[in-house]
Amino acid sequence: MAFDARDGADKLVIALPKGRILDEAMPLVRATGLEPEPAFDDPKSRQLRFATNHPGVDIIRVRSFDVATFVAFGAAHLGIAGNDVIMEFNYPELQAPLDLGIGACRLAVAESVALHAQDDPVRWSHIRVATKYPEITRAHFAARGVQAECIKLNGAMELAPALGLCRRIVDLVSTGSTLRANGLVEVETIAHVTSRLVVNRTAMKVRSREMALWIDRFREVCHARAA
Amino acid sequence: MTASFPTAAQALLPNGLRDLLPPDAEQEAFVASRLVATFVANGYHRVKPPLIEFEESLLSGAGRTAAAQTFRVMDPITQRMMGLRSDMTTQVARIAASRLARAPRPLRLAYSGSVLRVRGSQLRPERQFTQAGLELIGAAGEDAVAEVLLLAVEALEQAGVERVCIDLTCPPLVPALCAALGLDEARAQAVRDVLEQKDLVAVGDLVGAEAAAVLRALLETVGPAERGVEALVALDLPEPAVAMRDSLVALARRVAGAVPHHDLTLDPLEHHGFEYHTGTAFCLFGRGARGELGRGGAYETGPDGAVEPSAGATLYLDAVLDVATCPPPRRLVLISPTLPAARRRALQAEGWATVPALGAAVDQAEALRLGCSHILDENGQPRALAPADQG
Repeated sequence: MAFDARDGADKLVIALPKGRILDEAMPLVRATGLEPEPAFDDPKSRQLRFATNHPGVDIIRVRSFDVATFVAFGAAHLGIAGNDVIMEFNYPELQAPLDLGIGACRLAVAESVALHAQDDPVRWSHIRVATKYPEITRAHFAARGVQAECIKLNGAMELAPALGLCRRIVDLVSTGSTLRANGLVEVETIAHVTSRLVVNRTAMKVRSREMALWIDRFREVCHARAA
Repeated sequence: MTASFPTAAQALLPNGLRDLLPPDAEQEAFVASRLVATFVANGYHRVKPPLIEFEESLLSGAGRTAAAQTFRVMDPITQRMMGLRSDMTTQVARIAASRLARAPRPLRLAYSGSVLRVRGSQLRPERQFTQAGLELIGAAGEDAVAEVLLLAVEALEQAGVERVCIDLTCPPLVPALCAALGLDEARAQAVRDVLEQKDLVAVGDLVGAEAAAVLRALLETVGPAERGVEALVALDLPEPAVAMRDSLVALARRVAGAVPHHDLTLDPLEHHGFEYHTGTAFCLFGRGARGELGRGGAYETGPDGAVEPSAGATLYLDAVLDVATCPPPRRLVLISPTLPAARRRALQAEGWATVPALGAAVDQAEALRLGCSHILDENGQPRALAPADQG
């Protein structure tokens, strides 16, 4: 059968990121009254899509970068994503109406301690950087007149300088202990990162009442936690 | 490696371009004619501008914002630059301001045709697509916007779209607010960019707390109109924004009264893609369609610097086709090529498409091979293929 964009159009789909942020996000999700089916918490389950106690709402669990993509293309209607991911893709169809205040960390430039001792950033014209965030990195350095050649890695950025892949990295830093353990020092903060509730622009129009309801619930939960 | 044949290489099209095959090509033509027929039945006259024209006329006035989306070629005859249209609105505005400058106002024009863009968008990677639209030239205010909006919605209804989501916006509102808040151009642009993503945290970083409070209050009016309108009315806005807010509210009330069976939402912060609009504007969405079905609003055009208030709406056929009801394809009947023309036309008048059996017998096997559901029997009547043969 041919793909029909209307298939399953009745279900509202919420995309949640795997890993670190999920542990902080789930208390918020549960506080809005959403409870995923038991398989969600079963580490042995290979299921990717989960029903909830609300018959009209499903949850999907995907990689954090993919949350933005699923929501931007309307495959999911709401999601939770860090503003690092939002900035990297800069999807015009993605909106971030609410800061959930979880997953706080920062996106930073780091280099080896030895390099830092003799480095003068004012003299740079071209640098090579290993990062998961090539777009943000390029834009950040371009804004101060430096051409950044980005080597895209998907993890273990901290290894790159010691092995000679590059001399600098751009990565998420929360406590800085991983950097220290690898002989790196943070030299510049590009952005402060927290997780946001993201929504699809078209879904905001076409399913405005449902979307407003869930955004309001998340907003109330966040305010209650902040108070 | 797989073997590649010359035909496979020839079949590759540039990004964002595609061949429409049966039955899609037929359906697109059908829906386009339905839409324009609705405009024509309501007093709009069809115009047909050329595909390509001199760059300076295509990209002047309201067209100046289209420069980055326009393909250009050199005219080998005049040695002047020409641009391929990326939007037909500006061409129709040019016609109204030049050749039809003396036609009585308000001037009502309708059009349909293909446009070509340098880049597709995230949701619609197509670089070539068909537009159908209408322009109401020389009419101002919410009456004009309401006329084109409601007519666009009616055309969609005629094309079988059951439920349209109408999103009302006011593109000049945020720039007016930024000016009233005393932001310089660079900062105002940054504010507009982050507002586009509804990212209040970033807005707060860019402007002071007081300004952010105004924008936050405005952000809370985004959503279903039934609650947004009241919130918008209650807002305390600086002077130039008040008139804009009032006309947005007036339009919302009018549309809600006229088409209560469709969904109405407000988004006073939306401005993306509304670069040449000067007053209230709108986007149309449909449940099941990937992106916008169409958009439009108030803008200004005019001959030789004279400003003429206008309003228009454009529908995007590729998106409309996702949600439009298309007629069932014509039933095919296999006939002899020598069938008298009168009999053939009679069959066609009954809704049949007649397929001549060229160089083959008028039999089950040939009918099946050509995808016909019927063959013409000895009595000259269409007969369904025997079930055994169809299996």
